[in-house]
Amino acid sequence: MRKQPPLQLDAIPPGQPGLTSRAGWIVACCGLTTLLAWPLRGFLEPPNIAMLYLLAVAIVAIRADKLAAIIAAILSTAMLDFFFIHPVLSFSITHMQYAITLAVMLTVALIVADLAARLRLQALAATQREQLSQALYLLASQLAGSTSLQQVAVVTREYLHDNHHCTGMLLIRNNELLQLVEAGHQELSSLQIAAAETALHMSETRHMREADHHWLFLPLRGATYIRGILAIDFGQTPPAHIETQKSLYEAIAALIATSIERLHFFEIAQHTQLQIMDERLRNTLLSAISHDIRTPLTILYGMADTLTRSKLQDSDRTVAEAIREQARRLNSIVSNLLDMAKLRAGNIQLDLQWQPVEEVIGSSIKLLGDALQQHPVNVSIAPDFPLLRFDAVLIERVLCNLFENSVKYAYPDSPIYIRADFLGSFARISVWDRGPGFPPYKLDAVFGLFERGDNESSIQGAGLGLAICRTIVAAHGGEISARNDNGACISFTLPLGNPPHIETESENE
Amino acid sequence: MNKSSRILLIEDEVQIRRFVRQALEEEGYSIVESDTMHKALEHLQETAPAMIILDLGLPDGDGVDFIRSVRLHTDMPVLVLSARSSEAEKIHALDNGADDYLTKPFAIGELLARVRALLRRNKTDAPNLEASYRFGEIEVDLAHRQVTRNNAIVHLTPIEHRLLLTMLSNPGKVLTYRHLLRAVWGNAHAESNHYLRIYVGRLRQKLEDDTTQPKHFLTETGIGYRFQP
Repeated sequence: MRKQPPLQLDAIPPGQPGLTSRAGWIVACCGLTTLLAWPLRGFLEPPNIAMLYLLAVAIVAIRADKLAAIIAAILSTAMLDFFFIHPVLSFSITHMQYAITLAVMLTVALIVADLAARLRLQALAATQREQLSQALYLLASQLAGSTSLQQVAVVTREYLHDNHHCTGMLLIRNNELLQLVEAGHQELSSLQIAAAETALHMSETRHMREADHHWLFLPLRGATYIRGILAIDFGQTPPAHIETQKSLYEAIAALIATSIERLHFFEIAQHTQLQIMDERLRNTLLSAISHDIRTPLTILYGMADTLTRSKLQDSDRTVAEAIREQARRLNSIVSNLLDMAKLRAGNIQLDLQWQPVEEVIGSSIKLLGDALQQHPVNVSIAPDFPLLRFDAVLIERVLCNLFENSVKYAYPDSPIYIRADFLGSFARISVWDRGPGFPPYKLDAVFGLFERGDNESSIQGAGLGLAICRTIVAAHGGEISARNDNGACISFTLPLGNPPHIETESENE
Repeated sequence: MNKSSRILLIEDEVQIRRFVRQALEEEGYSIVESDTMHKALEHLQETAPAMIILDLGLPDGDGVDFIRSVRLHTDMPVLVLSARSSEAEKIHALDNGADDYLTKPFAIGELLARVRALLRRNKTDAPNLEASYRFGEIEVDLAHRQVTRNNAIVHLTPIEHRLLLTMLSNPGKVLTYRHLLRAVWGNAHAESNHYLRIYVGRLRQKLEDDTTQPKHFLTETGIGYRFQP
């Protein structure tokens, strides 16, 4: 970061030179002119000498101030009269023409004094403006180069300290709270914070006096809302001066606000970029994991299956069957995990289609196959049950998970029931078993990730199955709930909506 | 079962090839193995297999392209091996000429059943449309457009009848929604999957014992239907 030279913008108020320097200039210019002109008085007519004095007055006017120039003008006229106009060394005037000379000289000298002083003031103001805009430009370029709020705060603080001899602090809006950006650098009293909040809510600059310190609180207005407050501690600088420079500080605040806004949008853009990258990475990872885990699982399952088909002793066959069963279970867990990850990442596109719920129940039962061998499934759906709109693959997963859950907890050889009915504007599908049911205190928690009915249970399962059920049902706009009714019962709802009309067809061609 | 049937197995994972080969050889099939598509194309010309088992995720190219090029010359059965949660991939393969798919991991019994069904279908081709066709307790008289169940006449609407015939003529084969909609309704309803689902449901009500656990008109969730004689 470039370090700007101290500019002393308003340390010395314009056109107020010290008394001694003012007198010095008058004496030097007028005296020197008199000394120079004295030997020439024989050759030069008084009007020409008057010209020399006018020069002196002009120099005084340029170098000192207006008052000095006026004094110099009067003094010069007096000196011209006293030293050079006949009778010499006397203020008396004998010729009328010299009276005119003196009068004209005084008038011209006063005009020159005024003009020169005004010119000087303008030049001074122009220089000051230039310095100011240069300082603002430097501030703007440093703010533009800032990549963090901290940096903006440091740049602001150093700028205000170097150029305006005051202490600046940035407060940034965080919801409805104001926070110091450079926390720990300096603390604000509750009174100051209250003033800052007023400035924020009123959206106007507040001037505050606390002890003998003057403060300004300037809102940092962004395009959409006020992003924070610039608090400036002026110390004991007179308030009149603060008031005259208020628009300057407001301009500074506007610069800072623009830069904070830029940082804000930059952050959003960066975040979005990161999110896209993140999602891409996650998808790549998911499909890689999906492939890399499934391949060994397929081999494990296939080889165990090969073993169970070969001529084995009963004990060995039991082992082979157990390996096969565990591989199948592992595959089910991996599928659930991958689906969960995809659903959680929000990048699953539901393939919503109107279809009979009966069909997906049938395919789930078929998919589980041997796993349901010990538990006959009892289905009850009205034949005219309306079509529902859902993603068949995902709802099949829900049903499979519910059935698997029932199989895990149901008493041996007891049936599993599934029923579809209505609940308000929803269809409700319930799966229940004859088993111990859920522990009553856990009814609400069974759908939590990695939650299981009974933590001490010896039955395996990550608790992932019910969590993914909840996620899938929620993605369909339905709800899932658990209750006990002579066993565990889980119901989920799907919105009924407006099924498409199907034209009836006669049996005759 | 045709004991001399030769099967081309295209799979890049050596261990999967090993147990699939062992299972098929025990059933009397002879196996030609290939771990790349490039080699598979050579084997295809040299060995003239009766069917192909193809892993879609091959390292040297798109399995669907391979199916398409096979379909240019022959209608030999193609059984696809695929990972789960890629219904779109399966549909793509089926629409491009694959006959059936198995989701990894798969049971060997299931693999053998699919292979048997596909080879049998290939031998008998489509049911003879002149004669009658029988499955379970159902008899379809193709000439008189009459369907009986346990000798009792079952009334089918024209659409139901067309759907039944389409499925009968592709036993064991997975038929995608799109395929069935085109065959039964023409292009007009190519996107109206719910029509198809309703009519399959009606066929099941008329021809199946238990509509939720069908034996003949099977659901391939997210993909389509399969007729199992």
